[in-house]
Amino acid sequence: MTGTFGSISAGRWAMIAIGIVLAALFPLVYHDPYYMTIIVTGEIVLILNISWNFVLGMAGVWNFGQLAIYALGAYGSGWLMLHHSGIPVPIAIVLGGVFSGVISVLLAFPTLRLFGIYTSLLTFSFAQVVQYVAVNNPHNLTGGSFGFPEVPGLFPDLGQSDYLRAYYWVCAAVIVVSCFAVAWLRQSHLGIALRSIRDAPAYTAARGVNPRAARVAAFGLSGFLAGIAGGLYLSFEQSFTTSQMGLTPMSLDVTMLVIGGLGTVSGPLIGTAILTVIQTKLINYPGWQLTVLGATLLVIVIFVPGGVVGLIGRLDRRLRAWVAEDADEAEEPAPG
Amino acid sequence: MTDIVAIIANGVVYGSIYGLVAIGMTLIYGTLRILDMSQGSMVMVGGYVGWWALATHGVNPIVALVLAFAFTFALGTATELVSVQPLISRRHEVDFELVTFITTFAVAIFLTNVALQHFGPFQQNVPTIVGGNLKLYHGVSISYHELTMAAISVILMGGLGLFLARTRWGLAVRAVAQDLDAARSLAVPVTRLYPLTMGLASALAGVGGVFLGALYFASPTAGDLPLLFALIVVVLGGLGSLTGTLYAAYLVGMTQSFCEVEIGTTWTLPILYGAILVILIFRPYGLKGSPSEVRL
Repeated sequence: MTGTFGSISAGRWAMIAIGIVLAALFPLVYHDPYYMTIIVTGEIVLILNISWNFVLGMAGVWNFGQLAIYALGAYGSGWLMLHHSGIPVPIAIVLGGVFSGVISVLLAFPTLRLFGIYTSLLTFSFAQVVQYVAVNNPHNLTGGSFGFPEVPGLFPDLGQSDYLRAYYWVCAAVIVVSCFAVAWLRQSHLGIALRSIRDAPAYTAARGVNPRAARVAAFGLSGFLAGIAGGLYLSFEQSFTTSQMGLTPMSLDVTMLVIGGLGTVSGPLIGTAILTVIQTKLINYPGWQLTVLGATLLVIVIFVPGGVVGLIGRLDRRLRAWVAEDADEAEEPAPG
Repeated sequence: MTDIVAIIANGVVYGSIYGLVAIGMTLIYGTLRILDMSQGSMVMVGGYVGWWALATHGVNPIVALVLAFAFTFALGTATELVSVQPLISRRHEVDFELVTFITTFAVAIFLTNVALQHFGPFQQNVPTIVGGNLKLYHGVSISYHELTMAAISVILMGGLGLFLARTRWGLAVRAVAQDLDAARSLAVPVTRLYPLTMGLASALAGVGGVFLGALYFASPTAGDLPLLFALIVVVLGGLGSLTGTLYAAYLVGMTQSFCEVEIGTTWTLPILYGAILVILIFRPYGLKGSPSEVRL
């Protein structure tokens, strides 16, 4: 049975509902400002990862320029917040997302002419150019290395704990909406086309699907969400440093996606959660943070293809197979 | 005129060293279809070997270069065994290139941070291989160190060419690049060839690292910039094309030298990456690359 969001059993729906309610109630009982800041930052990274997973995992385009798109969302919304203070901050963030989506579509056209590893190199080049321009800060468009330290946040009037709580809920709402959107897109015409282009490009094109149109749409949607994440980050942190689109955050995000399981709906959730916990635990051993990251990435790619979600899926199938075997044995008449 | 002499002299020096680092990436891509992101870390490791041998043990520069070659050769071989060999059976899957891109990148992250923990974030001065300057023209001079660097890079690249053209192992490497299955059926020891190729490529980068360490510093992130330049070179030349890589290396070297003299150092990378964006739009496989045809 395939519903609006793919095949989700009633039990699954109940679990999802309970999860959302628990997540929504969480900040009412938990107040530690240090960990709340980490959690909200993690939520924003999760939004970025959901957007990246859509283009990297589901559409199968090796786009390594997503962090630049994310940054452009932050710069776009930041510029609006500073220069057109009449525009409400939430609208500025959404417009930043639109700006990122447009740039992402423009990036898609040259990128989709290429194949394989050239795609990653072109998008990576794009990210490098954006980063250098941002550091050089022409006409104060990007705020330089510190990135708009004077922007107003979404909730300028709230005290610290309410501020964190409000951002927690805003980001959680964006995450829930985008997860459902991705689940719906996954089994929509667009999602089926994208996955089919990823797995069998020639056959899909022969069946009359336009690969370029589908992938350009994927770039646009993914860029929009990445831009929203960028705007949220800027308004939450009140700055967007250029190191946010450096190699370290990129490797961290890629590892999150790979650990969770590329191309799945829940993969980014699981990967981001696991790595945020590990990185926070290792915060007192800064040298180990990335050493562990590199080793984990290597081990997961080689030994657990499909990430945690893929692993759970395999274990689940094996379990069901055992249960089915046992049931068969039970049905057999007892000897004698 | 002074400008032109300075641009050409520095361009040749830069081009040679980029060629040395990038030609290894080309060799690996040509044989294994892997874009080796750990190549930059090999430059970094080479720099530390040079620092260890020259600055703290005061050995002969030639010994230091040989040490760097041997150490990065071993490290490159180990990298292949860890990050590529387990994936060889998946090499016909669509995402093989991406997966190995990620695993070699993971090795790069790992090596950089091991260096960071072991040596700290400090920059270490690596002594030059040869001292002194050669005066070229009206105040334009070039150090003997840079000249040696260019000369040894050219010699090593020539050596690599001879190795590929004349030796049995070189023949095997080319055979694998052309048709893996055919090579395998003719008893080419493919599983030993891959580590050898990656070790060789890493060793070239390692030797380059000793020279670059003296030009700049040995530090955990010393490999990042050479990697970014090598990526530009291999894309521009067309992945897998050795001659294309050579042309591209000198082209990039000249461009960098021109930017430094006429525009300013900060604009070098944006200009080069901007050029890449434009070139890839019009020539999707670089200057000399070709989509499916096998190169080397």
